Amino acid sequence: CLQISAKGFSQQITLKERNAPLKKVLKEIARQAGISIVYDESLLARTSRVNIDIKDMPVKQAMNMLLLNQPVSFSIEGQKIVIQPMAADIRPVAADTVITVSGRVTTETGEALPGATVRVNGTNTGTSTDGDGRYSLKVPGKNSTLVFSILGYTSKTLAFSGSSLNVQLSLSETALTETVVVGYGTQKKAVVTGAISSVRAKDLEGMPINRIEQALQGRTAGVTIASNSGQPGSAATVRVRGITSFNNNDPLWVVDGVVVDNGGIGYLNQNDIESIQVLKDAASQAIYGARAASGVILVTTKKGKAGKLTISYNGYYGTSQPARKLDMLNATEYATLRNEQAVNGGSAPVFADPASYGKGTDWQSTIFNNSAKRMNHELSVSGGGEKSTFYTSFGYLDQEGIVATEISRYKRFNFRINSTYKITPWLTFGENIGYAYDRSVGLGNTNSEFGGPLSSAINLDPITPVIETDPAKLSAVPYAGNEAKLRRDAQGRAYGVSTIVAQEMTNPLAFISTRLGNYGWSHNAVGNVYLEAEPIKGLRVRSTLGSKVAFWGSENFTPLFFLNSSNNPANNSFQRTNNSTFAWNFENTLSYSKDINAHSFTVLLGQGAYMDNRSRNTSVTFQNVPAVTFKEASMNYKVTAPNRVSDGGEGVEHTIASLFARVNYAYDEKYLLEAIIRRDGSSRFGPNKKYGVFPSFSLGWVPSRESFWPQNNVVDMLKFRGGYGEVGNDNIGDGAYLPTIGSGRNYTLTNSDLAYPGSSPNAPANPDLKWETTVQSNIGFEALLFKDFTVEFDWFKKLSKDILMYPDIPWYMGAAGNPADNVGSMENKGVELALTYRKNIGDFEFNLGGNVSYIKNKVTFIGDGVKFITVGQASFQTMNAITRTEVGQPFNAFYMFKQMGVFQNQAEIDSYVGKSGQKIQPNAKPGDFRWFDKNGDGVISDDDRDYIGNPTPNWTYGMTLNAAYKGFDIVVFAQGAAGNQIFQGLRRLDIMNANWQRKSLGRWTGEGSTNSYPRLSIKDDNKNFTNPSEFYLEDGDYWRLKVLQIGYTLPASLVNKAGFERVRVHVMSENLITFTKYTGYDPEIGGGVLSIDRGIYPQARTFMVGLNFTY
Amino acid sequence: CSEDFLEADLKGTDLESAFYKNETQARQGLVAIYDVVGWQGNGYVTREGMANAASDDQRAGGGGPSDINDLQVVTKWTLTPEIGPHNELWRKGYAGIFRANKLLEKLTEVPMSEVNKARFAAEAKFLRGYFYFDLLRMFKNIPLVTKPLTTSEMRDVPQADPASVWKQIEDDIKAALAEPNLPDRISSTDDKGRVTKGTAHAMLGKVYLYQKKWQEAAAEFALVNGTTPGQPNPTYGYQLLPNFADLFKSKPEFKYNSESVFEIGYSSQSNGGWGCVSCTEGNVLNILVGPRGYNPKPGAPDYVSGWSFLVFTKDFYDFIHFDPRFKYTVADVDSLERNGFATYEKGHDNTGFFLEKFAGRQSNRPGTGTMELNFPQNKYDIRLADTYLMEAEALVMAGQSGAVGSRAYALLNAVRARVGLGPIVATIDNIFDERRLEFAGEGIRFFDLIRTGRAAAALGGRGFDPNRHYVFPIPFHELQSTKMEQNKEWGGNK
Repeated sequence: CLQISAKGFSQQITLKERNAPLKKVLKEIARQAGISIVYDESLLARTSRVNIDIKDMPVKQAMNMLLLNQPVSFSIEGQKIVIQPMAADIRPVAADTVITVSGRVTTETGEALPGATVRVNGTNTGTSTDGDGRYSLKVPGKNSTLVFSILGYTSKTLAFSGSSLNVQLSLSETALTETVVVGYGTQKKAVVTGAISSVRAKDLEGMPINRIEQALQGRTAGVTIASNSGQPGSAATVRVRGITSFNNNDPLWVVDGVVVDNGGIGYLNQNDIESIQVLKDAASQAIYGARAASGVILVTTKKGKAGKLTISYNGYYGTSQPARKLDMLNATEYATLRNEQAVNGGSAPVFADPASYGKGTDWQSTIFNNSAKRMNHELSVSGGGEKSTFYTSFGYLDQEGIVATEISRYKRFNFRINSTYKITPWLTFGENIGYAYDRSVGLGNTNSEFGGPLSSAINLDPITPVIETDPAKLSAVPYAGNEAKLRRDAQGRAYGVSTIVAQEMTNPLAFISTRLGNYGWSHNAVGNVYLEAEPIKGLRVRSTLGSKVAFWGSENFTPLFFLNSSNNPANNSFQRTNNSTFAWNFENTLSYSKDINAHSFTVLLGQGAYMDNRSRNTSVTFQNVPAVTFKEASMNYKVTAPNRVSDGGEGVEHTIASLFARVNYAYDEKYLLEAIIRRDGSSRFGPNKKYGVFPSFSLGWVPSRESFWPQNNVVDMLKFRGGYGEVGNDNIGDGAYLPTIGSGRNYTLTNSDLAYPGSSPNAPANPDLKWETTVQSNIGFEALLFKDFTVEFDWFKKLSKDILMYPDIPWYMGAAGNPADNVGSMENKGVELALTYRKNIGDFEFNLGGNVSYIKNKVTFIGDGVKFITVGQASFQTMNAITRTEVGQPFNAFYMFKQMGVFQNQAEIDSYVGKSGQKIQPNAKPGDFRWFDKNGDGVISDDDRDYIGNPTPNWTYGMTLNAAYKGFDIVVFAQGAAGNQIFQGLRRLDIMNANWQRKSLGRWTGEGSTNSYPRLSIKDDNKNFTNPSEFYLEDGDYWRLKVLQIGYTLPASLVNKAGFERVRVHVMSENLITFTKYTGYDPEIGGGVLSIDRGIYPQARTFMVGLNFTY
Repeated sequence: CSEDFLEADLKGTDLESAFYKNETQARQGLVAIYDVVGWQGNGYVTREGMANAASDDQRAGGGGPSDINDLQVVTKWTLTPEIGPHNELWRKGYAGIFRANKLLEKLTEVPMSEVNKARFAAEAKFLRGYFYFDLLRMFKNIPLVTKPLTTSEMRDVPQADPASVWKQIEDDIKAALAEPNLPDRISSTDDKGRVTKGTAHAMLGKVYLYQKKWQEAAAEFALVNGTTPGQPNPTYGYQLLPNFADLFKSKPEFKYNSESVFEIGYSSQSNGGWGCVSCTEGNVLNILVGPRGYNPKPGAPDYVSGWSFLVFTKDFYDFIHFDPRFKYTVADVDSLERNGFATYEKGHDNTGFFLEKFAGRQSNRPGTGTMELNFPQNKYDIRLADTYLMEAEALVMAGQSGAVGSRAYALLNAVRARVGLGPIVATIDNIFDERRLEFAGEGIRFFDLIRTGRAAAALGGRGFDPNRHYVFPIPFHELQSTKMEQNKEWGGNK
């Protein structure tokens, strides 16, 4: 809405316009009269151009004349003129109706809503409210319901009993009225000049979201989310506009003003979330200064509303199963290939009669659960009166994992209380407190080549049986001699032990049996209390104290077991760990808003102090406990001192002290300006560089509000905005600026088997260490087209410089590490596009939203004379590093060998020669890879590796469709990513006899058989399989139908009688279909470097039924 | 906010400005230098492991052709300036030198017993010489740093003339020997691993030997070996252990035995874990060399199932098969399996012949912590049999006949007699054959091949290039933004 203040209705208007937009003329009248004219842009879009020529005419008369043939009318309310829809379709009520209903329509804060339409549902019978919001309407019968509507507010349909019905309408969130949370306040979206993506409660309603990261995935342009694991309760990797730093790229999470570290965000219950805002450009991030470089995510939880008590319930129940199984070789195929591999390597065949093994064991089926249970219940009660409001909720989540369910499960209990108290009309006190307890059972290794049930199921030979019953085998090695330590099933039969594939690969059922009962737990409480005063209108003083307390730990009993000869502990052990952390922040802000004519200002001044990482941990292990199961284990068994092993430690507290200021200025919501400056001091930097200053500004222009903007039916609103700013990153080790001594450089100089303590200096100190700075420019526009279609577009360029890292110093310095320094720089450029389309056709409501973003990451500097750096690189088994960072390449791009097909015969090997005619691969055999000699030196060496892919997707996209017809609704939500490669490292390279995927049957077996899969050989002298090469890379593009939900809302007339406001039931599926060419379990793979598949725990496919009601 | 609020409080970490303030802290500084003697990188690279994989007696082995690639590349001689075990060994040497330089710089100011201060300084100097010796014999052209470098001068350091490094090594060890407070021998079991005058003489002898200063070498070794080979040395207390097998036992009573001149100490008590392999005080060689997927029948040897690295070649097996030291040197798991006593998994380069001296045992597996990383067995840097044979070599090279009655003959045959072998003439070939048998798997053979020029003949079949591989390349890492130049064998100017 637009408001212009004040001379009065007595003003005489003089005007002459031809073919002018109505809006332009209205503004001119408003200007001359000095009054406010309140209208909605979309309403004016329906009006036609006007011709008017008047002289010294009173305002009211001028308005009448102006709107003569327009589909809108006006009413005068105090010093305002309200433009409203024509009451033409509101007809007088027939005389034979029996009941008269009257009441008042107000806003949620109790202000009258004049001009609201009150209509008998399903008819054209209705009226509109008067200047005090009052109405009176004759209604045909008792079974009717009334529809209350006014532009800019959400309509309500209510049944009535008796003859009185008062209604509160809440502001509807349209592109024009929406507000967004920015740091330390809210802004109308119409005047926002930064790049901010939002997710709102209604987008999440009924969605099967267990962790907040999932709420952002596919719903926010420019935010890349990849789940770290399908293990219930697992976190996801979040990247806002790509990789910003060489260090930690986790965004700053701020929940109701409390900074919560990335790892601790899992306590939030999605149903408590009112909105999430992702601040993506520096102009909006700068208010968070020193820690904002990797993006800021603001989470606001629900608050109570004055008025009626509302009770709402959301819940669902369902079952999950794996969406995909890998196609592994059966026992006969395995034995056949093993023989071939041995013979090719010059050894004798291993298995005399492969066919005798039949199909063998399908290890995957032993660990996958096709009916893992999943449920979520959330109940909230909110309400309040004039003096106070509250919102309180309780949630319970229980999810079983689809892999090895006995040791994969997550439960969470939530509790929240948010309330406000008006102590005096100008003084408010409030608090927002959330608490969660969770209990998780995990596989241990969820994306690891070193064991765990998944990795074992993929690598174990299919010959070994799940359960060994053959007495002959049981009396031989490895069973003989280990009888007491063998794991057994419920009937006491020994689980099979493979003598073929060993190391960390063990019978998954036996492995599971060694972890039964073990669990991890955590208590998290995050909250704040605040006092806010508004002593004079527009001046707000607010003081907030927030804190986060977390306690977590684990209880693990490891019995004696013999899984194989390498997994065979000498003692049982019972370990207990206890950890705690505490963080607080204290912020004081003062803001003043003032509108003077069309000028509106807001000034914010603030001060903050922050402390985090006051953490403590202890761990105690008792060995040789007189117990054989978790249940029996206890530390009340006082084992002897040598059997008690303990450890502990404390964190180094990280503190920040800040001052910040922000100015917002808008003229007529047409010219917009915002400027921010923040100064932060951090405990991580020395006196030389303690403080960093982070400025930003942004501008906006709304040409659609200009008088010259032609009246048209295409562009209803258009806003251009752009900004520039600097934000920081202090993510480097504490005390890196100080010369310190490291302990633990111990050495054994005595017979007694005990090391002496040794200490020596750590890395050289760097007293000039300072902030890493990210400079970002953003240009974008927002538009409302054809009344129903919104477009939001952003282009950005982000340059991170002085990147904090530990650059290599010469090893001859002999230092224990590298000194921290500000060295690298990196650039990210990208575009983001978000579209929504809303349409109501009769009873059919339709809402389609989509977003897509593209980002290009390039490292631009890593130090003088430095060819490459290894920071954060991914490595895989014996290949060692598989990614590397070099100037001109994306951060940690895949750096591997390229192959040019498979040598089909000796002649091809002989003719593959270097410049001087020597054979490049003299030792190769037909069936081996022909490696690309990149540097052309005629020899295949590590220098022939090249940058052949990027593990980070450069495209991410999402789409949501909501449609409703009468009581039925459907939600389709899909998301995906593209442009990355996935490293598929599912097979152990150092276990030559591990099982293969079925695609290995297409290996090279003779001339012409294949040009892409080399021969098998236990020697593998050509390193066909042990070289890091493009052989292991696959495209990671995917498009996933994340949620499909079909709901039915029971008729209001029915449920209202039972006291319910709304009752909805739904069925839904999560991860129903994934379109991808990737051949592993799941293309979505999080982690420090994304897309490294070591046997990722896949996302489950779930089918659920759900119920939501509001009472 | 007050300024205090933004001061980092590094709990449990001392600032350098507040350290080296008393004898306890000076001692911790000394232990940190010794710590480097037992250096094990995160990639399981040790000097002994490298030297075994690079020698003609053993191959890297492991699970596959790239398993612990740093070992594979010295078996096949495909190392490059960027990739190979030399990287870790270069870092090891300079880490030790830095810690020694640091202590020597700080020690003068520490208020403490002057006796101990002098002894600490002597040990620091010895150790600095010891680390330079390893670096020089592997890399030839190295920077000579004798005080801690600042970051501002770190990129301007030149490589020193090898002769000046030899001189620095000799000077450091001689300075240690000249220190009256450095003891001849250590009787307390607490400090057994520390350097003595005996250690310093042996080391100096070795330094002379590598420079082919035969007379000087023999003279130093003679001080260590005593007047009568085979008899106890009354000054330094050395004597060959009567039972060869006892040398490789990890029980406390066999550590720092009378044959040990300089020992590399490990502990089962440090609770080392996978989070930081290089941080453990346990010996990782034990798990490296164990047979892979080993499943014994009751009564078979109690090896723990290991990773099958550093397997002996068939050639070496044939060479040592009828020597009395065979069964204490080679774990013949091939034979165990053929005779039905055990099964095992055949890893890369498998021969079935594992390194018995260091294979981890159920009997010495640690009681606590990660089994793989906490074996307590020590290794020898120098043991008396070595100084016997080195003296014999120096004498023969200096012209002594090695015939019956000569000291060289007595030295060689004292070593042989200990395992029940009859005397033979101390020809240079006999001495080297004896060294090969006596020290197999102890990381000595490779250095013998290099220093005597025998490597080309012994290793040619593996890809050893005599024009290149007698010296390691300067690590690629060191050539970036420094004054370092690559060795000329590796395409550089040095």
